[in-house]
Amino acid sequence: MNGLKYNIRIASEGRELVAIDEFRLAKSAINVLLGESGIGKSLISLAIAGLLDPDELNVKINGKSYTAYLRSREAIDIRRSGFFVFQEPSSHLNPLSTLRTQLREGSLTDAPDEERILRKLWQDSALSDVESILDVYPKPYRPSGGEKQRILAAMAFKKMAASAAHARESLFIFDEPTGNLDNNLRNEFLDLLIENFRNQEATIVLITHDYSIISRFVSTYSAVSKNILYRELLLEHGKLRLRDFLPGEYLSWMEKRNKAIHTVKKTETILRLYPHVKVFGRTLSISRDIEGRKHEPLVIRKGAVTYLKAPSGAGKTTIVKIMMGLIKPEKMSMELGSEVYTEETNRNVWAQNVWGKRMTMVFQHADESLNQNSKVKSVFSGLPIAGLMNEQKIVNSISELFEEEPSCGFLETKVKYLSGGQKQRLNLLRSLILHTDILILDEPLNGLDFARVAKVIAMIETKLKSGIGVLVISHNEEVFDTLVAQEDVYYLHHTGVESR
Amino acid sequence: MATRTLTGNSWLSILNSKKDLLWLMTWIAGLGMLWIWDALFLNAPAFARLQTAFLNSLFTGAMVVLFSLALGWFVGVSLHLLENSKSKVGFAVISFITDILRSIPQIIAVLIGYIILTVLLYQGIIRSSFVQLVWIAGTIAVAVFLEVADTIRHRIDYFRTLDFVDAMLCCGIKERRIINIEILWKNSRSHLLHKLIAIFGVSIFLQCSIDFIISVGLSTDVSLINFPTTLGNLLANVDSKQDILALSNLFTEPGYLSVIFVRHLQGLSAAFCIVFSLLCIYMIANGYVRRHKLA
Repeated sequence: MNGLKYNIRIASEGRELVAIDEFRLAKSAINVLLGESGIGKSLISLAIAGLLDPDELNVKINGKSYTAYLRSREAIDIRRSGFFVFQEPSSHLNPLSTLRTQLREGSLTDAPDEERILRKLWQDSALSDVESILDVYPKPYRPSGGEKQRILAAMAFKKMAASAAHARESLFIFDEPTGNLDNNLRNEFLDLLIENFRNQEATIVLITHDYSIISRFVSTYSAVSKNILYRELLLEHGKLRLRDFLPGEYLSWMEKRNKAIHTVKKTETILRLYPHVKVFGRTLSISRDIEGRKHEPLVIRKGAVTYLKAPSGAGKTTIVKIMMGLIKPEKMSMELGSEVYTEETNRNVWAQNVWGKRMTMVFQHADESLNQNSKVKSVFSGLPIAGLMNEQKIVNSISELFEEEPSCGFLETKVKYLSGGQKQRLNLLRSLILHTDILILDEPLNGLDFARVAKVIAMIETKLKSGIGVLVISHNEEVFDTLVAQEDVYYLHHTGVESR
Repeated sequence: MATRTLTGNSWLSILNSKKDLLWLMTWIAGLGMLWIWDALFLNAPAFARLQTAFLNSLFTGAMVVLFSLALGWFVGVSLHLLENSKSKVGFAVISFITDILRSIPQIIAVLIGYIILTVLLYQGIIRSSFVQLVWIAGTIAVAVFLEVADTIRHRIDYFRTLDFVDAMLCCGIKERRIINIEILWKNSRSHLLHKLIAIFGVSIFLQCSIDFIISVGLSTDVSLINFPTTLGNLLANVDSKQDILALSNLFTEPGYLSVIFVRHLQGLSAAFCIVFSLLCIYMIANGYVRRHKLA
């Protein structure tokens, strides 16, 4: 298989952001690029796609200045016939044009297959439903993140069809294209990706943290498996390295986990949340069946994981914030041990009895849940166990999720200078070291590479053995389904909007 | 070359990007040149008075900054905590007091402080210049500390909307620590420092304004000469006023320019110190806002 090799250096104001000696891409193949968040995958891809600003950043590719690279035949071809699907869909779309206009502008004007692509991405919904979304001017909150991602994917697939004549020179980069999609929608996207790849054999880069994509590729698209290459970008001793990632690494780990799948043990109930919660004028209901026919209280038991599932935007994070006393609902009832918490319960009661003592929570976005101006070691200051946390204990805790013992320099580093994955590890550690009865995890595997995913799961299992109850919200169903008994899976539904 | 590197920047362009430091250096350099000029041409007693006036004004300004920070921090944090507590009585009381203070023009509040100081001087309760300066600083701080309290409340309210506060609360970190250390100390130092620079400038301005108002005398027994010498006090002095009036000679006698900077130095130096300091402090504050992207 032909390949492209890049030596890439990116710096800003004298500070090196990315430096990699050999970044390889296979031509006419799907290059699945894995690795921890914030390590440089997007920046490298943007550099190759010619989308960085040479006035803002000092970029060198294969020893050439970025301006020279942008003038090269290769970069011109990539820009002419390729496409880049950005990680954050809002930053890609123009708020002053409707989605329909953007889906049909420039080289996409006469591109075929639009209707078929949209139908597929919307799982054969009525075309009128999709049409109503196309007339929207994109805003941060509308349409939803998942809908925006599907519009961008549709643009990319249209561009693939339009560039068929130049398929071999083109490069299509999908940066976390399924981050806001549930598993069904993700699979529809992957079907389209494979179908287009079979037709065009373009060079595709698929950047993702979702290792369960490997299972899908291996089980469903075995005919093209030799054209799918997995590579993991790693930061080792401060240096970036690209390594071949064998699907077997993940699959054999999953196989072991599936063998050891948990069975129900009737352990003591620690928390019971009654199934109807009213908040922001709507009612959220909990059930054990996916259709939501029979509503039941959500139960968290000692030494067991409870899994709360629902599509993106359904209110999972809202529910757990209500359980933590961070959002005041209009109606709720929760039993925590012998104590009852309702909408009337004062916030101070949570502060005195619950936070950091009986329950703790890991928030979804490490970037937002850590103080960016804190030093790494200060992340652990002020915890209810702070008196027990001397510097050596902090080092020991950090070592559990970081491959090497952290240096003094690392402990003194401000959080804002860490990669997304490092932030997520700190975010998890801060709660994992507490001795609470319940641990709530909101998308705990966000931005982690495979090695860290395995470590986090092992740490959760250790906590379970100590008797803690865990509530999980995660899109990563494949991994968490191996940790949860079917009886502990709950589904969240809307059951109506209150009239005002 | 299209790319830009740090090494390509000259020290001038670095200073240009740090205008606050540039203006701080300008201020120090300007005052240094004035000091040398006055050392050469101003008579010794007047030179000593000018130096004392400048140092006293600087000391008072620094004390105002300290008092305002302490008062503003205490009131800002207390209001936030009381607002979210079960009992709203404490919040209502402090809000009422701060609202009253807010309704009084700063210059009037400072004047009231001077009137009380006059009474204390008249009764012989306060004698030392140091205590008088501290009193003056305290008075001005009471008039301006709400600026700091408002900044603190604004910063707390802003950070309350971000996940990191809730995330820390969920980990059992105390709210007082989150507010005082995580929000104010780690994330708001630049904002507070900018506010304090502005308060320093305001304190110099208020001192001078009040000194001019009271130069007519607050009572038959207590007048400007009973207060410690400050820049405003020195400028409001009859000799200095005459020096400033001497500038009008330039309209009829332009040749007088050659002697004005030698013969009328006390008034001109005091005026220069005030105007130049206010200008520089204003520019330092603006430069600081731009450099730290606070606007």
